[in-house]
Amino acid sequence: MEALADNYLMAKVRDGDPEKLGLLYERYKRPLLGFFMGMVRDKELGEDLVQNTFVRILKYKHLFRGDGDFRTWMFHIARNVKNDHFRKNKITHEKVEKWEDKIKDEGNLMLEWQSEDEQRMLAIAMDKLPEDKREILLLSKYHEKKYKEIGEILGCTEGTVKVKVFRALQDLKAIYHQVEKMM
Amino acid sequence: MNKNQIDELIAKYNEGLADPSEIHQLELLIESGEVELTRLRELTKFDESIDKFKEPVASKKLDQNFYDMLSRETSRSKQFDFASWFSFESLIPKLSVAVVLLVLGFVGGTVLQKNSGGGEVRELAQEVSGLKEMMMISMLEKESATDRLKAVSLSEEIKGPSKKVTEALFKTLNSDPSVNVRLAALDALQSYAKSPTVREGLVRAIAQQDSPLVQVAMAELMAAMQVKSSVKELKKIMEQKSMPKEVKQRIEESIKVLI
Repeated sequence: MEALADNYLMAKVRDGDPEKLGLLYERYKRPLLGFFMGMVRDKELGEDLVQNTFVRILKYKHLFRGDGDFRTWMFHIARNVKNDHFRKNKITHEKVEKWEDKIKDEGNLMLEWQSEDEQRMLAIAMDKLPEDKREILLLSKYHEKKYKEIGEILGCTEGTVKVKVFRALQDLKAIYHQVEKMM
Repeated sequence: MNKNQIDELIAKYNEGLADPSEIHQLELLIESGEVELTRLRELTKFDESIDKFKEPVASKKLDQNFYDMLSRETSRSKQFDFASWFSFESLIPKLSVAVVLLVLGFVGGTVLQKNSGGGEVRELAQEVSGLKEMMMISMLEKESATDRLKAVSLSEEIKGPSKKVTEALFKTLNSDPSVNVRLAALDALQSYAKSPTVREGLVRAIAQQDSPLVQVAMAELMAAMQVKSSVKELKKIMEQKSMPKEVKQRIEESIKVLI
């Protein structure tokens, strides 16, 4: 149902009723913020990127066709916003070799929101993953494991998405066990 | 690979005994869809834990920035009307927020002047909650659907299933002119759905809906909450001649889940 309502609402925005974007904002502000904070690890910046995403949704509303999922279209835009931010600030992909040194790094926003010890260790481990692996796990979470739709966002097949998720989870598991030993 | 070989490979992986070439074989099977990720126990455990991560809460600043932008966009899309821009009605939301903030500041100052024991802080928290309720109920009467949407989202900040708040949300669900706002009210009422009174109210609200979107949303909510008493009302609305075929189908599916 939500896909039906989302598409209906976005079609209304496209056709001259921008107020309808308010409900889409209320539905998706937290998942989007969770996605951005997972990627950029800064709440204020994450909120700026959420705002930028909705600015672009309005700017490109005429491109919304309504034949696919609004959420997929929105996350496609969100990903572009994230990539543009990284490009503009010349943030390169992190190297994974020295992740052990980063375990003591206290700056971890996903950690702040988690209350149980295991969840906290998992948040630390997620933070230490390379950007592309963190991104695939976050997309998997916020897209309810709909790998076909995630493939549309990333421009690859559903099978490729599943392999990416598999590899990311493998790495996450390895890092988690290291974090566990050091705690 | 045959089924037995695949099962053996998965078992080996789950025991942590698969070597790199076997892991590569497993990747090929995952890519082709012959093996689902859910069969890989340890990894599934991590995946499920990520799903349980709590989502961060957006700040007031983000909400303000978004609604300011939306307001500008809405104004741009309408013709400029000098008279309505300066009308008393457009100043009412701003005046009411200013009054509420003034009262809040006065109450906060008065309470904090005394010894700040736990009792005074609780009292202040109650005052704040009461003021938020008042603001929410007042904003639900505004002409602008954007203001009414903001009002509905305020209900998420008010602790506990307050009777005033749920009554206001039901009134909105049953009579707001905007489908958008009705759907937001339904979303907000979901969080109070553990209360039997709210569940009964939701069942009664089904008959009040004429928008197919809201009807489908309610049917699917009833199915998710397993409210079997809603079946009679859902069957009644399906008798509406004007109901689109796709909507009827969706509601039928929800009824099947309930029966």
